[in-house]
Amino acid sequence: MKKSHIVIFLMIVAGIALLFSATGDLSTYSTFATAEDSGARVKIAGELVLEKDIIFDPLKDPNYTGFHLKDADNRIKEVVLLKAKPQDFELSEQVVVTGSMQQGKFVANEVLTKCPSKYKDEEMALRKQG
Amino acid sequence: MENISYIGETLWPGSLGHFCIVLGFVAALIGVAAYALQVKTDKTDSDNQSWRLLGRFAFTIHTISTFAIIGLLFYMMGSKMYEYHYVFNQVSNDLQDRYIFSAFWGGQEGSFLLWMFWHCVLGMILIFKSGTWEAPVMAVLSSIEVFLSSMLLGVYLPWGESQAKIGSSPTSLFRDVMDAPIFANADYLSMIEGSGLNPLLQNYWMTIHPPTLFLGFASVAIPFCFAIAGLWTGRHKEWLKPALKWSLFSCAIFGTGILMGAAWAYEALSFGGYWAWDPVENASLVPWLFLLAGLHTNLIAKATGHSIRATYILYLMGFVFVVYSTFLTRSGILGDTSAHAFTEMGLEWQLAGFVAFFALLGKFFLLKNYRSIPVPEKEEKFSSKEFWMYIGSIILFFSGVLIIGATSLPVFNKIYTVFDPEFAGYAITDPEEHYNRYQLWIGVFIGLISGVAQFLRYRSLNWDSHKSTFAKEVGISLVLSAVLTFFIARTLYTSSFQYSLLLFAGLFTLISNIYFLVVKGRGNSSLMASAVSHAGFGIMVVGILFSGINKGYITSNPFAMKDIVVEEKESNYVSLLKGEKMFSKGYWMTYLGDTLSGNVRTYDINFKKVNEDNETIEEFNLNPTTVYTNDFKRIAANNPSTNHYFNKDIFLTIAGLPKHLQDVEFAKEMEDSLTYELFSGTLSDTFSTARNFGVIRSITFEPEHEDLDREEYDLVLGVNVTLMDSTNRIVEDVQPALALKGGLIYQYPAHIDPLNTRVKVDENFFSEVFTQESTLDYDDIKLKEGGSVDWKGYEVKLNGFNRTPEHKNYEQEEGDIAIAANLDFYRNDIIEFTAKPIFVIRDSQRFSIKDYLHIPGVHTRFSNIDPASGEMEFLFGQDKRDFQSVPLVFAENVPRSDFISIEGIVFPFINLVWLGCIMMMLGLTIGLFKRFGQPA
Repeated sequence: MKKSHIVIFLMIVAGIALLFSATGDLSTYSTFATAEDSGARVKIAGELVLEKDIIFDPLKDPNYTGFHLKDADNRIKEVVLLKAKPQDFELSEQVVVTGSMQQGKFVANEVLTKCPSKYKDEEMALRKQG
Repeated sequence: MENISYIGETLWPGSLGHFCIVLGFVAALIGVAAYALQVKTDKTDSDNQSWRLLGRFAFTIHTISTFAIIGLLFYMMGSKMYEYHYVFNQVSNDLQDRYIFSAFWGGQEGSFLLWMFWHCVLGMILIFKSGTWEAPVMAVLSSIEVFLSSMLLGVYLPWGESQAKIGSSPTSLFRDVMDAPIFANADYLSMIEGSGLNPLLQNYWMTIHPPTLFLGFASVAIPFCFAIAGLWTGRHKEWLKPALKWSLFSCAIFGTGILMGAAWAYEALSFGGYWAWDPVENASLVPWLFLLAGLHTNLIAKATGHSIRATYILYLMGFVFVVYSTFLTRSGILGDTSAHAFTEMGLEWQLAGFVAFFALLGKFFLLKNYRSIPVPEKEEKFSSKEFWMYIGSIILFFSGVLIIGATSLPVFNKIYTVFDPEFAGYAITDPEEHYNRYQLWIGVFIGLISGVAQFLRYRSLNWDSHKSTFAKEVGISLVLSAVLTFFIARTLYTSSFQYSLLLFAGLFTLISNIYFLVVKGRGNSSLMASAVSHAGFGIMVVGILFSGINKGYITSNPFAMKDIVVEEKESNYVSLLKGEKMFSKGYWMTYLGDTLSGNVRTYDINFKKVNEDNETIEEFNLNPTTVYTNDFKRIAANNPSTNHYFNKDIFLTIAGLPKHLQDVEFAKEMEDSLTYELFSGTLSDTFSTARNFGVIRSITFEPEHEDLDREEYDLVLGVNVTLMDSTNRIVEDVQPALALKGGLIYQYPAHIDPLNTRVKVDENFFSEVFTQESTLDYDDIKLKEGGSVDWKGYEVKLNGFNRTPEHKNYEQEEGDIAIAANLDFYRNDIIEFTAKPIFVIRDSQRFSIKDYLHIPGVHTRFSNIDPASGEMEFLFGQDKRDFQSVPLVFAENVPRSDFISIEGIVFPFINLVWLGCIMMMLGLTIGLFKRFGQPA
């Protein structure tokens, strides 16, 4: 067996080992129910509930944004985001938060928002101008 | 809608452009065929070059059409032809000329054109410079162009029940792309204006980053073409030399492109860093890593004949992954894993086909010829340079595989849902941490290997005699870097051994490469190229460690969150009130104010660094900005501001703003939702409002208000009022105002943020100051020229006439007889003012034009002339102004509008990251220039 083959073999072994260890970094998009049960740090994708107030008072605390999110099971929970409110938050179609359940609230420190596509913008622009 | 003949459309550039797209597509196809046939001909009859000529002709036609489309698109954008969908999306009337390039490649179609542009330029160079490699290389390049051109075709083919879209054309008409009621109107063009370029992209980075990155993308194709050419023609050794040159070029340009992206993210976007392991960043980094690995095996192969197979594989993968990254970023598949915004073109399947074709093409040529690729019989020795370079390349490759594997999770999820539609999909919980944890080890290995390999020789030349020198050189480098690591590691804010190890690896490659450069590399440009780039890598690693681990916040909020239990509460933002100092982490911070210019609002924040005795050591201002959308309705981008030092950066970004600064509509809504209450204040006496107190100081006819644009005949009125809270801690002088402009009364309220108050002058007060004609009591006055009369404390003298009078209420008509009287009003023998009422006879009708002097409040009319007695009849009236109090209306629950929430980050030694990266690019460039003069 050649040395370079040994190296490649070792790399493959290392790769498989890493793959297994990296599964710890993975999570499926969770729901509030499973987050409640496991208590683990998870990602939840959901829809912003616009009927409820979005609390962000930078004069009081710019590190606090409170809102309600509807998860894949259509359950609505209060979410506490330990960050400033993202730009255009109210316009977002989908919100992905990373965090865990703490005392009945989902406490998150990461957030990603998905905004409407440009196509819709175009329609809006046209409607307004027309 | 077919019957409508639209007004004002310019259709020829679109038709011509689309013709050029189709022509370019067909020419590329002919190019593939002709060059491929030439390759076939060469195998039997190398004198017959006719196919090559056709291939050249076809590629030239392709190039001309591509340039023509680009030219036409620029013309369409420059002329703001909004009938075209792409123009509508990218351009608006207010787009500045200098952003026309950004607008051009800001959309998908334009960026494909930019990519094609570079392929055309590189193709032309190859036609002239690549000699015997022209036919196979250009055949492959033409095939890439076939795929890229197809992305612009914009045709629909029947596909079962529905239609399959092939490409998206930049020349598509808006009304063909979208079905909207407005297009039922023949004159729709006069009603629309371009939606324009996203303000986020209106900066100079957008002008320089895409062309560099796309030249990088385009140039990765050239080593790919040479690899296929080598396999195709079986000239497995000859292709290595030209491929190496192109690969050096590509690594340098592509790397610079990625680096510019990182610099853009850091300097101009509010990500708070230069690298976030975002899928879009990863997608361009991975092909670069593959190419870089290929560059190293290419060097080995050229020097020793080993690793030719690896070079083939890596160059083939480099380009395939450029196409794959295009698929990832443009198909919309990344969805919610990326912070970048994507517009979907509905071309996922076409892009997937693009990837599949070139992956299979590479695989086909590789498998077919794999056995014929020469492999030296003797193995590499442990003590040889090539062995360790090879290991290093595999590690680079491995790094790329790890990154792209994790980045491709959304693709995996998508495929999985085909089998299990209920599948929720996997995601990496904390991506940055994940990537850092694994890539750290890549950094350690690369650092150690590149440090050691530098002192080794190809084929272990004279190993026995060289052995002791090698041990000495590596030994010195190891000891030096170990000692340095020992001291420097203490300054890192971490106790994890991995980071110390990475620091050691970085320092080791830095020291050994400098040592190597000093001992051996002087004057030898090829050694210099390698030493400079590897030393650069070491510096970059040290910079990444310090700027990442020792990153700190100078803004922290001590009063945050008392009611919620949180394990680890980060409070990295603070809110500053305008004019009020706040202390945090050794700095006094003051928000001084903001200024609006165009659609950019600039905030001025002062920082004073103080020592323990509160003495100022340093003072600077930072000016982050917010950019509004073109229609001013919302904020499109927050741009940070950075203070650079040689050893750190202080980086400031806006985390929150008062709502009325973010959203123009909200400002209007807020004004409507306020409840105002009336409180009348007696002159010079204290009055109370619902929450506070006020004193009316005086009334002015020359108020100043930022929104008041005073024109000549406007009647304006301001009230000077002092407002204070119950404790007298807050005392503010303000001046709300009213103005009568063109018959309408306008309000100019005053805003007192510390009292959450907005105050206006009640409109009814206007008629108390300026008495209306109907309620005015006139006195009849008779005067002769030169005569005078006493009236209300004035001595009024009739001082001659003006037969060509001018007055705002008088427009001269033909046949008019108009006379203005000059009435001087004296008080204590001094002229206070002069009134000039006019008497007019028009068509035997007599009427008078009143002159009103609003400051003294005197109305004068010239009502008659008695020619017999020479007496003039006047009417004098005086504003009543007998008010005892001034009615003011107050809203006292107004949200504050004078604060800003900020996040301030210190990045220590971030300049080392840039320096290291630049040195890597410099090393590659030195290597390129060394080989420049050599024939292809």
